[in-house]
Amino acid sequence: MFKKTYTGKRLLQIFVLSIFLLTITCTAFAAKDKLVLAVGGENAEGYDPLLGWGAYGNPLFQSTLLKRDSNLNIIPDLAEKWTLSKDRLTWTVKIRKGVVFSDGSPLTAKDVAFTYNKALESGGKVDISPLESATAVDDSTVTIKLKEPDITFIQHLITLGIVPAKLYGPNYGRNPIGSGPYKLVRWDEGQQLIVEANDKYYGEQPSIKTLIFLFSDEDASLAAARAGQVDVLGVPSNLARQDIPGMKLHVVKSVDNRGLMFPMVPNVGKKTPKGLAIGNNVTADIAIRKAVNYAIDREALVVGVLDGYGRPAFGVVDDLPWDNAAIRFKDNDPKKAIAILEKAGWKDTDGDGIREKNGLKAEFTVLYNSKDSLRQGLALAISDMLRPIGIQATPKGESWDRIKNDLTHSNVVVYGFGDHSPLEMYNLYHTSGPEPMYWNAGFYSNPVVDKYLDQARAAKSFEESIPYWKKAQWDGKTGFTVPGDATWAWLVNLDHTYFVNKSLDVGKSQMEPHGHGWPITTNIQEWKWISE
Amino acid sequence: MTKRILQFFVKKAVHLVLLLIAVATLSYTLVSYSPIDPIDAYLGPSILKISPEQREVIAQRWGLDQPPIKRFSKWAKQVAKGNLGKSTIFNEPVITVLKKRFVTSFWLMFVAWLLSGGLGFILGVLAGAFEDSTLDKSIRLYAYTMASTPTFWVGIVLLTVFSVQLGWTPVCCAWPVGSSEMEATFFQRIHHLILPAITLSLVGIAQITLHTREKTIEAMHSDYALFARAQGEKDLGIAFRHALRNVAIPAVTLQFASLGELFGGAVLAEQVFSYPGLGRATVEAGYRGDVPLLLGIVLFSATFVFIGNTVADLIYMIVDPRMRKKWSAA
Repeated sequence: MFKKTYTGKRLLQIFVLSIFLLTITCTAFAAKDKLVLAVGGENAEGYDPLLGWGAYGNPLFQSTLLKRDSNLNIIPDLAEKWTLSKDRLTWTVKIRKGVVFSDGSPLTAKDVAFTYNKALESGGKVDISPLESATAVDDSTVTIKLKEPDITFIQHLITLGIVPAKLYGPNYGRNPIGSGPYKLVRWDEGQQLIVEANDKYYGEQPSIKTLIFLFSDEDASLAAARAGQVDVLGVPSNLARQDIPGMKLHVVKSVDNRGLMFPMVPNVGKKTPKGLAIGNNVTADIAIRKAVNYAIDREALVVGVLDGYGRPAFGVVDDLPWDNAAIRFKDNDPKKAIAILEKAGWKDTDGDGIREKNGLKAEFTVLYNSKDSLRQGLALAISDMLRPIGIQATPKGESWDRIKNDLTHSNVVVYGFGDHSPLEMYNLYHTSGPEPMYWNAGFYSNPVVDKYLDQARAAKSFEESIPYWKKAQWDGKTGFTVPGDATWAWLVNLDHTYFVNKSLDVGKSQMEPHGHGWPITTNIQEWKWISE
Repeated sequence: MTKRILQFFVKKAVHLVLLLIAVATLSYTLVSYSPIDPIDAYLGPSILKISPEQREVIAQRWGLDQPPIKRFSKWAKQVAKGNLGKSTIFNEPVITVLKKRFVTSFWLMFVAWLLSGGLGFILGVLAGAFEDSTLDKSIRLYAYTMASTPTFWVGIVLLTVFSVQLGWTPVCCAWPVGSSEMEATFFQRIHHLILPAITLSLVGIAQITLHTREKTIEAMHSDYALFARAQGEKDLGIAFRHALRNVAIPAVTLQFASLGELFGGAVLAEQVFSYPGLGRATVEAGYRGDVPLLLGIVLFSATFVFIGNTVADLIYMIVDPRMRKKWSAA
């Protein structure tokens, strides 16, 4: 036994010694044709567009029919020409000739049709339920038929990556052959993703040949960046005010917004089919909702809660092409807020600092996801801003599950939205079904707004839908924004913050949707190293 | 003797089966009361884009549209045939996920296990041999500190000091960033393993050390130690020539019985070091409501720990001459 332990000890000595030798010989690796990114983006179930891969940015391995440029204009990618039939039900798309997948097999209209039909039944994170079916007319023409007119379907043409019909199967996500600018070399699950430029890509070859995506936790990623092992790092804005040697801060504007959802109907004891209470007597009063909107100092929220990394939000689609500029108003105006409340009969009669009307106190709970410190910060700040005008807004952290399964239709909730498709606006403000969940949780309903939203969705082209989207926000008389029904109190749009290697040029980043991290790769083909 | 061994194994096998059934039923009951909606957890931020109709399609794909009891019986039948079902978050058979992840975890756990066992034993014997000396006191101080320190905290401290400030060890992953498993040399693997393994073993060392120390002290005060001392043997000599044999048996048992704690510690250590093993998969499965994977891991870890304990029993019989005699006599 003694002898055994002794040899164990000897082994250990050798072991420790070899580690020390290693640390001396192990030098930094970073050759410049490789780029290491820590921006998240691991898709545990694989890189399969039919299960939702790429819905938030470019799918990288696959290419899409259309895409958006840095100003969010729709431009062709795989498609050469696309037209919508007179009845607005059928898209006819002519695709590029001569495109091949990274394995060399040709990409034809058949693959496109297969992709759309298969995505419909796959049961993943992509929802193309408006689709009736897709058909390959010939090798380069595909028709995509919808169940009813829906211009927002174009978003799927922009985001759904085309997969090869022949190779698609249960293992596709781990071996994603596509026609995108990069191809997958290896994926060490939970660790890293190594991709390489696809030399068969029909577009311009990216100047950076190898990308390594690191899937470490926030702390480890930051540590790796500090150790000089990462070239692009996504950080939450509260970590953006620091210096990382060799890196510069890259701030990207976004529509990743946060706002207060108001229950729009009074609580008369009604419940959803699942049994959730509906309505709130205080927020059902438009005077309360308007007063909240005018009293809040959004600039102060940006400075105080977002550390300056963001901008005030007035609507759900700020600065997107379908944003109606007429909805902006002057906030941080407690006088106006008080005037509105007084006029509507909300007065503080018992001297406790909170207004009442017919015995009802102007108070409500502001719920936020207790895991989210940013939403907590917003809720707390708002509570402070509303007290001087006589409204008691009590911030309360709750688990997301409890908010969703119990409280969402009868309480004010801090939500975050923001998408590149106006469909989200439709879902939030169109009269909802009996069990809306996150969509129009406040049970807002305005027939005029509904009409505009329906008209927008049924428009002939995306350009022609834009005026209707704008009118739904505010048409001069009504709308869901503050001049109209003041359905929400939008607060802030976040900036997404990244640290980027000083010698890397990442071009002009697109305004990003909800979801921080992966969207920065949208224009990755244009990235290049610049000399120091 | 062979009959005895056969009996032993049959008994153990029956135990294992009963244990697995109990563990599976209990875990499933617990999981089915979890407030986590697996579809919400799966969708993540995409939740805002998914219509109620699409949710139903997803529920169908996973069989969530059926009542819990029916799902459990379906799952149990599959398991009886050796199929653990499909992981919802990885979209792969649970067995494939377990295999992939365990291979990575195995080396981590193995190194940590050897380190904590070996070092813990030596430290324990030394501390026990020189009871109340400065050496004993410092070993004890170390052991108590470690026993009361959370693994993940130790991990973060080590990471900050050795990886970030000194830059001696890598900050993440099981092999160098940008290279593949095959390209990574043996030394690179070890280089990436060293910090998580040390973290994992530090806490384990404390347990083994304290236990071994107690036993050594006991042995040092025994009659045979007194006899040896009377013959002029020094403390260290008594400890290694006489006490060691007696201390070894409980130490070995403890070492194998510690597999459960090792498993638990690995979850935390892997989380801190972004080490993609079974521990991280467990956390993911829990957070995201992946019932098949979670149950698969539960069954696997139960088997793993059970085997560890059985091995401890076996070794006990082999190492202890008294037990060996009993066996041969039968």
